[in-house]
Amino acid sequence: MNTAAILEPASRTPAPGESPYGIEVEGVSRDFGKYRALDDVSLRVPRGEIFGLLGPNGSGKSTLIRILCGLLTPTTGRARVDGLDVTTAGEEVRRHIGYVSQKFSLYEDLTVLENLNFFASVYGLKGNDRHERREWAMDLTQLDPYRDRLAAQLSGGWKQRLALAAALMHRPRVIFLDEPTAGIDPVARRELWNLLFTLAADGVTLLVTTHYMDEAERCSNVAYLYLSKMLVQGRPDDLMLMPEVTPAGMRRVQADCDQGAAAVMGASRSLPYVDDVTIFGNALHLLVSADVDDTKIAGDLAAAAHGARVKVSPIQASLEDVFVRLTKLQVAKKNGSKLPLAPEGKR
Amino acid sequence: MRGFWAVLKKEGMQMMRDSATLRFAIAIPVFQLVLFGLIDTNVKHVPTVVFDQSRSPDSRELIQQFVNTSYFSVVGYAPSRDAMHEEIVAGRASVGIEIPVDFARRRLYGQSAALLVLIDGSDATISSQALSAANGLALSRSITELLERSGNDELPIGVHPQLLFNPDSRSANLLIPGLVAILLTFSGTILAAFAIVRERERGTLEQLMVTPVSPLAVVMGKLLPYLVLAFVQLILILTLMTTVFKVPIHGSVPLLMALSVVYLFSLLALGLLVSSRSSTQMEAVQRAQMFLLPSIMLSGYIFPLSSLPAPIRVISQILPATHFIAISRGIIIRGATFHDLWQNVAALVAIAVVLVAGSTQAFKKTIS
Repeated sequence: MNTAAILEPASRTPAPGESPYGIEVEGVSRDFGKYRALDDVSLRVPRGEIFGLLGPNGSGKSTLIRILCGLLTPTTGRARVDGLDVTTAGEEVRRHIGYVSQKFSLYEDLTVLENLNFFASVYGLKGNDRHERREWAMDLTQLDPYRDRLAAQLSGGWKQRLALAAALMHRPRVIFLDEPTAGIDPVARRELWNLLFTLAADGVTLLVTTHYMDEAERCSNVAYLYLSKMLVQGRPDDLMLMPEVTPAGMRRVQADCDQGAAAVMGASRSLPYVDDVTIFGNALHLLVSADVDDTKIAGDLAAAAHGARVKVSPIQASLEDVFVRLTKLQVAKKNGSKLPLAPEGKR
Repeated sequence: MRGFWAVLKKEGMQMMRDSATLRFAIAIPVFQLVLFGLIDTNVKHVPTVVFDQSRSPDSRELIQQFVNTSYFSVVGYAPSRDAMHEEIVAGRASVGIEIPVDFARRRLYGQSAALLVLIDGSDATISSQALSAANGLALSRSITELLERSGNDELPIGVHPQLLFNPDSRSANLLIPGLVAILLTFSGTILAAFAIVRERERGTLEQLMVTPVSPLAVVMGKLLPYLVLAFVQLILILTLMTTVFKVPIHGSVPLLMALSVVYLFSLLALGLLVSSRSSTQMEAVQRAQMFLLPSIMLSGYIFPLSSLPAPIRVISQILPATHFIAISRGIIIRGATFHDLWQNVAALVAIAVVLVAGSTQAFKKTIS
């Protein structure tokens, strides 16, 4: 786990002379005084893909986006967006990117239409072109009924749609979205993601930061940043199969409980072959030794929890399991200790 | 300058929509103008208490002469010197006139008769004017009598003072041309700083910076509407000044306008400078105060420059308000020309150039 596991993703055929990648980051670090906000991060996003950037708050996600948008310069390393170096061709890059920030940052005292017109004219769109583009963006985001409403009067989900529409006015080839769905309801979240897929299908490259695992699983590729470093990068499916996540000699099972899953979870900790347990409603996800079978686990859990009925079945690691496990390994490595039940010889 | 027109149009739209700012920009100058236009620093009708021990027709005539100068207004008679003193301590009167018992007798015999005049020294304006009024009255009466006695009908030395430019010594004529400079400081600096800090506070500046718009276009597009607003204020103030307060502009109006624009540029640049150091509007107000207060106190607006200690006068010289007040008073009151004012004009232009260059640099630095 010393270097990030870069799993080469399938890429589309690029136009001749064009970089096949919408975003390329090579060994980028960024220091703020003594604090290193980003430490030797590399990633590549093929055109037309949605790339998910995950990690706890303060792990460097926003710093990376700000570098890619040309708002910050990297201390070391190189970053290219749409084939152009962000440090040397910043202005050219800004012509082809869209940015939707974490906080709504359009003009609340202007209407939907006025906001879109403003951003269209900032990008130099005029007359018919502007009109066409604006109507297209409003159609796509279904903002049309709200065109004369002040942005301040829109709800969270609609504000994000407006921010996206504004970021789309100039047909950007790459779009950065910094936690676009934070604080908006599940329906609006789903709809926003559907929009992102529509854009990706058109060949737009998208980089999205999120805390939601269901969103991460919808990305073609994800990267996980932790304490300014990139711990892992790859396709969600591949990450779930990583040996570090489910070490050799271990397997993952789900235990469905008819009642009192919390009590069963407490009881499960006393079982010697259980390494990790997480609760999901009425079910538990357990990391257990591979040599113990489902029937025994079910029996032990039922006994430990005084007769609860438990059904055990094998499952794959989830993306959340991946990140939780990798974070633990990283912490253990930092502290110089070893994780229990990750035997040295077996890895 | 890519994006300049887009930013300009947007900013203008936001400004017109922000009725609070507009009201602030129009109401404050009008209110202050009315206030300052009505203030009269010429002292009149100073409350006066009289301790008349003579109680003679002569003493009553003297008191009447004091009243006739219109500087003094008798508010009461005191039975003793202590009582008179007490009236002044209590603030009920600012001047006390004591007429001695032998006043009428000494006058009758042509002897010198002395008056005691107590003046409240706690207000410099009242005391100095009351003092000169009292002295003037006694002196002119004495001279008249001496002339009569000597048989001469003219003074050995005659003084014919003539007050130029403001013959009636109207305070409005002096105050309003200075007030113009101070009022523009508020809108030019504070409103301009607000306009930029607001975008920073709301994150819209960052959103703008990921578009191809140039930083200079943002600055210019955002500040130009405020230049227009400040110019509208200037015209409003000057119109009220000449029509309502009857303060005529003796010099060239186009010259005044042109130099006002230079002054406004320096104010907007200060606003920009303030904004590039502040991340909230509250912070911007406090930073702006550091410049606004000296502009009011040290620019010659309130205290004459000659009354300031020499080290402080150095500060005065680097304030744009100092030079603009000199220019504005020069053109409005004295009818001064460009040639007369060239030193102030040169200083103002130099300050404006330094501020504009410095503030755009500072702004560029903060956004990159």
